[in-house]
Amino acid sequence: MTEEKKPEERKKRRTATEAASKIGPMVKASIGGTVQAREEGKPIAYTFICCCYDEIIQAMDIVPVWTENYAGVCGAKRDAQRFLERAESENFSRSLCTYALCGLGFDAWREELGEMPPEAPWGGQARPDMMLGSGQMLCDPRNKWYQAAQHYMPDVPIYDVGLPWPPYEDDYDYREVQDYYVKYIVEELKGLVQFLEKHTGRKMDWERLSQLVDLTDKTWNLIWEAYELRRAVPTPMGTGDAMNTMVPMVFMMGTQEGYDYYKDLYDELKRKIANKEGVIPDEKYRLIWGGGLPSWFALTDFNYFNSKGAVFPVETTYRMIEAIYNFDMDLSKITDPLEHIAWRWVKFWTYWHDRARKRPGSHPDVERLIKYIEDYKIDGIVMHEAFSCRSWHVGLIWQLNLLKKVYRNIPSLILESDIVDISSYNEVDTRARIDAFIDTLEAVKSKKG
Amino acid sequence: MSQYFAGVDIGSTMTKVVIMNEAVLASVIGPTGPEHRKLANRVMEEALAKAKLAFEDITYVVATGYGRINVPFADKQITEISCHARGVAHLLPEVRTVIDIGGQDSKGIKLKEGRAVDFVMNDKCAAGTGRFLEVAAEELGVSLEDMGRLSLEAENRVEISSTCTVFAAQEVVAKLSEGVALSDIIAGLHEAIAIRIYGMVRRLKIEREVALTGGGAKNIGLVKALEAKLGFPVLVPPEPLLTGAIGAALLGRDIVQEAAKKGETLVRSERRLTEATLFT
Repeated sequence: MTEEKKPEERKKRRTATEAASKIGPMVKASIGGTVQAREEGKPIAYTFICCCYDEIIQAMDIVPVWTENYAGVCGAKRDAQRFLERAESENFSRSLCTYALCGLGFDAWREELGEMPPEAPWGGQARPDMMLGSGQMLCDPRNKWYQAAQHYMPDVPIYDVGLPWPPYEDDYDYREVQDYYVKYIVEELKGLVQFLEKHTGRKMDWERLSQLVDLTDKTWNLIWEAYELRRAVPTPMGTGDAMNTMVPMVFMMGTQEGYDYYKDLYDELKRKIANKEGVIPDEKYRLIWGGGLPSWFALTDFNYFNSKGAVFPVETTYRMIEAIYNFDMDLSKITDPLEHIAWRWVKFWTYWHDRARKRPGSHPDVERLIKYIEDYKIDGIVMHEAFSCRSWHVGLIWQLNLLKKVYRNIPSLILESDIVDISSYNEVDTRARIDAFIDTLEAVKSKKG
Repeated sequence: MSQYFAGVDIGSTMTKVVIMNEAVLASVIGPTGPEHRKLANRVMEEALAKAKLAFEDITYVVATGYGRINVPFADKQITEISCHARGVAHLLPEVRTVIDIGGQDSKGIKLKEGRAVDFVMNDKCAAGTGRFLEVAAEELGVSLEDMGRLSLEAENRVEISSTCTVFAAQEVVAKLSEGVALSDIIAGLHEAIAIRIYGMVRRLKIEREVALTGGGAKNIGLVKALEAKLGFPVLVPPEPLLTGAIGAALLGRDIVQEAAKKGETLVRSERRLTEATLFT
């Protein structure tokens, strides 16, 4: 029976940093913590990555269940297929977001059993008391996933936070409209607070919220400074590790644990640089992971790149922060915590607009690539087209072509697979592509002399 | 003393061996097949016999293709992208874009000064590869070799809308039962594969001249269908299956010459003309 299939777990990936190796146990503890919180009767909420409401739920002591992360864990443990198949049997299309499918398959199964599915990875995903969508422009499953999950948990209420930002146009300054966006987001967040107060019976501690908002600002600055250290040659940390170290960034803002994690990472990278300790000692090619979520079941491909002398000092994926002090406004003057969160959100998503307007025909996403290519001394670009994620992946090739048009030709590789669905992946073919890409990098390098 | 170089290209469908000095002395093309996957040595022996050489006469052996790791007697393994690029640049120096249509994958390669500087590959879907026509030929009861010629006889080419090889084969059967002429169906199949290959390769910003290699280049119907998409004629090497093996042999020669120029001693593999040991 399909549901009994449980493939063997893969060996752990070799990481370059201690910080990255801490993430597995941290995530495991978080997942275990949600199951325990459920037993203790603490309020639990399904939440999304980069949800903008981290500090709000932290201030109200609501325990988050990171649903995308759990699907990624199932993928990384190569144990997602049975949940995907379960969702498929519920008539969800396999071409939908496989994070959502994995989660829906898991939820359907857990609700049917009245307990965790057998041998659920890391103890399973706890049943929530509420589900907090966080959508609009990031991706549609962030609205629709929990609505579908409600089919199996009709008693669990949903609140959907709309989080827009001014779209890029080269003939207007987003500052003309930014106030409207901030106002809208503040109203959305106020609604969320009211919802949480109603369903938990708790009152928001606004003073505490302000403190946590400040803590997030501090953490953003610290992450930016730590990641900028990766410019060093040899780079002390690659994208393979960054796919781990992103966890506190995207799920644990407004927590001291998150801040302390990046302080440790910063110190570790400083130490490695002082000792000239790189991901690999002899870097031949420096690459950027220029877009696309990774295949969680194939993170060892990063080690394969390393074995060919290639490192990834930088990536656009999951670098979901900027230095607050680099924004064009002083956020510390925004004392209302909800307004502060809204301004931070809008300023993050419009950060690259001004650069793009200065280069005819360019685009903010492309400007970001150009800046990283220059700052991190990049030789080539790698992207991953995950078939099930439209929002983050549609437009990658367009970006690549635009980059080549407005900037310069740069060797590029497009990998094709998925985030969770391992049936889309072929290790032999993937590595054949990587080998061929290394050949082209070498050809271009040797021509430059 | 003459130096001889061998290129061994183990593709998914065919294994190709070339022995060269200044020119090609001998070449052999044989099926890869499940049993032959480990028998590159047999094809090599055949090529050596044709060239009237012993294995010890060969200065350097380069293996390429998806089965390149199954060549225990190779001195070096090099990707098929690099080997195709080198081979085409040698045979047709004016070429800037290569389209290689193999049995189980297809690829586009952009060349600059004789080397691959960019590439795209389709290894995910049989619909853009030789396998697509192979399956359809079987379904139609037509030999693969006749498919190209028959496609040119079409008067009202049909549209094959299925993007999956298996479903396209079903669509073919349905068209046959509707009484559609064989040549019109075959032309539709060629059009379908050309659309997919063109869609993939245009990511590279196609530059003339364009060379077509691999088994697909031996199919006149596919050549014509791709030319119609490109809007200009393509170049086809005299033996389009051999470009990878020729490139491999030439890269071997480059390596030896480069080492000699630098006064370096090459680290050679401990070569024995044996079969590959798989699954150990």
